[in-house]
Amino acid sequence: MSSPSPAHKPRRKSKKPGVTFDASTKPGPLIRTPSFPLAAFLWPARSSLSPWEVVPLILMVVGLFRWAAGLWGYSGFQKPPMFGDYEAQRHWMEITTQLPISQWYFHDLEWWGLDYPPLTAYHSWLLGKIGALIDPSWFTLYTSRGSDDPTLKIFMRATVIISEYLIYIPAAVVFVRRYSRLFGVAQWTSWVALVAILLQPSTILIDHIHFQYNTVMLGFVLASMSSMTAGRYMWASIFFVAALGFKQMALYYAPAVFAYLLGSCIFPRINIGRFVVIAGVTAVSFAVLILPLVIGALYDAKRGIDSRPDLDGPRPPLPIFPQLESYLNTEAVYYPVVVQLVQMVHRVFPFARGLFEDKVANFWCAANVVFKLKKYPAALLQRASLVATLASFAPANLILFLRPNKELLPYAFATTAWSFFLFSYQVHEKSVLLPLLPMTVLLAGKQGLGKDVRAWVGFANILGAWTMFPLLQRVDLRVPYAVLTLLWAYLLGLPPTSLSAYFQEGQSPWVQWGTALVHGAFYVAMGLWHVLELFVAAPLDKPDLWVVANVGVGAVGFALCYAWCLWRLTDESGILRWGSVKSSKKTQ
Amino acid sequence: MTEIYPTIAQCAVVATAFKILLFPAYKSTDFEVHRNWLAITHSLPVWEWYYEKTSEWTLDYPPFFAYFEWLLSQVAKLVDPFMLRVYNLEYDSWQTVYFQRFTVIVTELALVYALQMAVDGISRFIDAHHGVPKRAAQAAALSIFLSPGLLIIDHIHFQYNGCMYGILIASLVLAKQKSGLLTSGLVFASLLCMKHIYAYLAPAYVVYLLRAYCLSPKSILRIQFLNCVKLGAGILGILGAAFGPFAVKGQIPQILSRLFPFSRGLCHAYWAPNVWALYSFMDRALISAAPRLGLPVKEEALNSVTRGLVGDTSFAVLPEITPRLCFALTLLFQAIPLVKLFLKPTWDAFIGAVTLCGYASFLFGWHVHEKAILLVIIPFSLIALKDRRHLSAFRPLAVAGHVSLFPLLFTPAEFPIKTVYTIFWLILFLTVFDRLAPPSNRQRFFLFDRFSILYIAVSIPLMAYCSLIHQMVFGKRYEFLPLMFMSSYSAIGVVGSWLGFMVVYFTS
Repeated sequence: MSSPSPAHKPRRKSKKPGVTFDASTKPGPLIRTPSFPLAAFLWPARSSLSPWEVVPLILMVVGLFRWAAGLWGYSGFQKPPMFGDYEAQRHWMEITTQLPISQWYFHDLEWWGLDYPPLTAYHSWLLGKIGALIDPSWFTLYTSRGSDDPTLKIFMRATVIISEYLIYIPAAVVFVRRYSRLFGVAQWTSWVALVAILLQPSTILIDHIHFQYNTVMLGFVLASMSSMTAGRYMWASIFFVAALGFKQMALYYAPAVFAYLLGSCIFPRINIGRFVVIAGVTAVSFAVLILPLVIGALYDAKRGIDSRPDLDGPRPPLPIFPQLESYLNTEAVYYPVVVQLVQMVHRVFPFARGLFEDKVANFWCAANVVFKLKKYPAALLQRASLVATLASFAPANLILFLRPNKELLPYAFATTAWSFFLFSYQVHEKSVLLPLLPMTVLLAGKQGLGKDVRAWVGFANILGAWTMFPLLQRVDLRVPYAVLTLLWAYLLGLPPTSLSAYFQEGQSPWVQWGTALVHGAFYVAMGLWHVLELFVAAPLDKPDLWVVANVGVGAVGFALCYAWCLWRLTDESGILRWGSVKSSKKTQ
Repeated sequence: MTEIYPTIAQCAVVATAFKILLFPAYKSTDFEVHRNWLAITHSLPVWEWYYEKTSEWTLDYPPFFAYFEWLLSQVAKLVDPFMLRVYNLEYDSWQTVYFQRFTVIVTELALVYALQMAVDGISRFIDAHHGVPKRAAQAAALSIFLSPGLLIIDHIHFQYNGCMYGILIASLVLAKQKSGLLTSGLVFASLLCMKHIYAYLAPAYVVYLLRAYCLSPKSILRIQFLNCVKLGAGILGILGAAFGPFAVKGQIPQILSRLFPFSRGLCHAYWAPNVWALYSFMDRALISAAPRLGLPVKEEALNSVTRGLVGDTSFAVLPEITPRLCFALTLLFQAIPLVKLFLKPTWDAFIGAVTLCGYASFLFGWHVHEKAILLVIIPFSLIALKDRRHLSAFRPLAVAGHVSLFPLLFTPAEFPIKTVYTIFWLILFLTVFDRLAPPSNRQRFFLFDRFSILYIAVSIPLMAYCSLIHQMVFGKRYEFLPLMFMSSYSAIGVVGSWLGFMVVYFTS
């Protein structure tokens, strides 16, 4: 270990308060000042040994910031005809509590039809039931659409926070603890990392202001990573199925999960038992996940409740996989279940939509500026997207498969999610949360609060928040965007507030200057863009000019983040130093 | 000198971020009050400021505050000129909200500056002891800056206390050095011309400046005439600057009638946790007991306190309280500590006396507002870390004083903020204080420590009852009950800490 950053030296100060000053006057390499403001805030906690004193306070502070952020408007507030994500979530609480389960995936699909996997539906059902105890009018069928009752807003905000505190936050606390211990990172340092992770601006902006429940899915993913770190493969599978069952976007991580779990059954020696357990548990978890839907479909069919009461006449064909109908008996008892599951899959994976919808900072959108992609047939584009995604996540997952080390997990998760974000199909600007999460947890790892990791994690997060700005400013959320992003940058000593995260000692000057200049160029571009967006109207013939510029800069920056994660993964895995490291790896 | 982390400036950055996020939060009528004053001072000639009454929220602060509003209005007109129309009642465009909320944050820099002054002052004084006193001073300063009281009152409810308490602290800190006494007195005089509630603390200033500045330190019989002239002339100059223009036009009686509206009732809309709250509680309790004890019950009083809690309180069993009695009790309990201050005019005794003056006025004053508790908490914070005995008197005050502010915010959206923030502050600073306060060189009072632990422990079930359980059990009935419990509970804490501090003050 070459000179660790000052943040890694907490234990030394745990002396009686009276003598600390003598120590500080001693000459030597001891750096006695925190290197960035967040470390300064936790500075007095260095002598505190008990997490029971510190972690509750941390959780209270991050909770306060979340709730205060929630005082601002949500997406689609008083914006008819369709309102926004807030209405979608509220509407799902409405349909799940008001309709029989077999109609959930069929009901009025034009009005925010349910298009998330079943766990979201169950979650909505539970919240809807609780909400109806407070005020049933929030979730009455049809009449509650587009409700802007202020008390409902408080209820909805509270459900996001409570869901997060039940899933994401415990997962983050446990993960940070386990992951930092892998590298022998001191407890105090891991608390600093924990605060940085929990104050990540994009998560707060999307979940607590814009309104969604991403942290539930991300929490399950963190729990899964945390179980992998602890070597609990069974729990890792269960949590990952839960993440997938909550939001299909968790598929962005699936190759890494697969590569790691499979790799750990084969390397360093083949472990059939583990493989069987993982496969079995995964299958059972999926079964449990869809069980309520299956039972509901059977029960409703028996009661004579049709899943589509609005349709008369013959049963419509299956929306996808129509060939199934020729194999199966459409009058059989099990057939409603097939219809139900096919419909669910159809809703969850919208194959029929285009390559991209809105302007997203990924490869396709950015490439579309240069070559008009619309002139190519959709099937070709789909295939190109598939190939590009596969090709971009393959190297990282191959490494993880060959070297299933838990130290590598965040790098592999981040690289894989970046590939999906950059190259896959139907990406949303909010999906940037997925690569950002595993990248941000690197702060808890080896040299996590050192300059290099901090600079890159900070860069990705600030760029990520910036690419979501067009989404946020549509509902006048400039102020919370600016406050939360700048606050996080300030706490971690990042541009635009400070340059302290650059010029790491021990790196070659080329790397130091290269990182600083490249990041600097992006920060300048972001700042300039904000000035232009604020004061200069886009030219009439190019009304989307600012958004397109945002997308282009964002895509290039994210590609850099992908490259950095992949390079770090390769470097850390030691796979390129095959001969020399082999023996030391064996002993791990 | 090594910096102590986190610095006040760092805390100010993070706190500012949080306060900006609170822009859309609930704001009380005080927001409209201050908007109206902006409008009055901007659009009317000075002579009409204290006569204007289009809005029911007439200007009832002394002239320096009016000048302060006039200054703000010079910026406000660039932001949204419509907020400066006197007839534009209840105007709250987002520009207005952002502007007014932002002025609170900016003017609070006075507090940041004063607290930094306090910490630096300490470190210049006590170099021999090294770290600990400075760390204690820094902790105390941060506890004031991050006080839930200021957050709730200034940044949600809406007022400018942060700025004015900054001036008060500056004045208190200046008084520490002999050379700063004159400035301290003049700064305090200016503060009085900004908000007259600080007059409650004036007796301590009068005694301290008289003894330490106007009389010789050696003997009380030798008068330092030059100092008297300087102080007198300075105060007259400040009073002249504030009230002079109005005195020329003979408007002083009108201003005084605005500043001191004696027609208000004993207890404010909510019950400030003082002696009168306990008195009211006893009165309520006696209503049910009165028939058995053979006491007469006044029928017309039965419905007043139980219901709205607004307006005049009248007592059913116990005798009525007159303003005169309140005034006499306040003066009496202010005078007792001042005797000691006169005999032993040290800075610590001065701060103690200021605190006790605040206590007396809060506990016995007429029409006391619960916000006035800051008048006690903030000076006390400066000496709370002197030793463990001071701290044990401070603890119940910190709990009671902040909890008693909860009724100011009654909207559900702000409920988590006020409770979580207050609990956070209490846990953080009470633990930190506990570590930093040096042991006292005198015997501690065994009972008082026990009382303070028990007292803090009770707060948790009580808060749960008042905010949740009561509503679940009784719904909308007996709405006064949680308020009464809270204010009686807080009153016990404030009274208890007052008694405890009295003992500490007289024995140290």
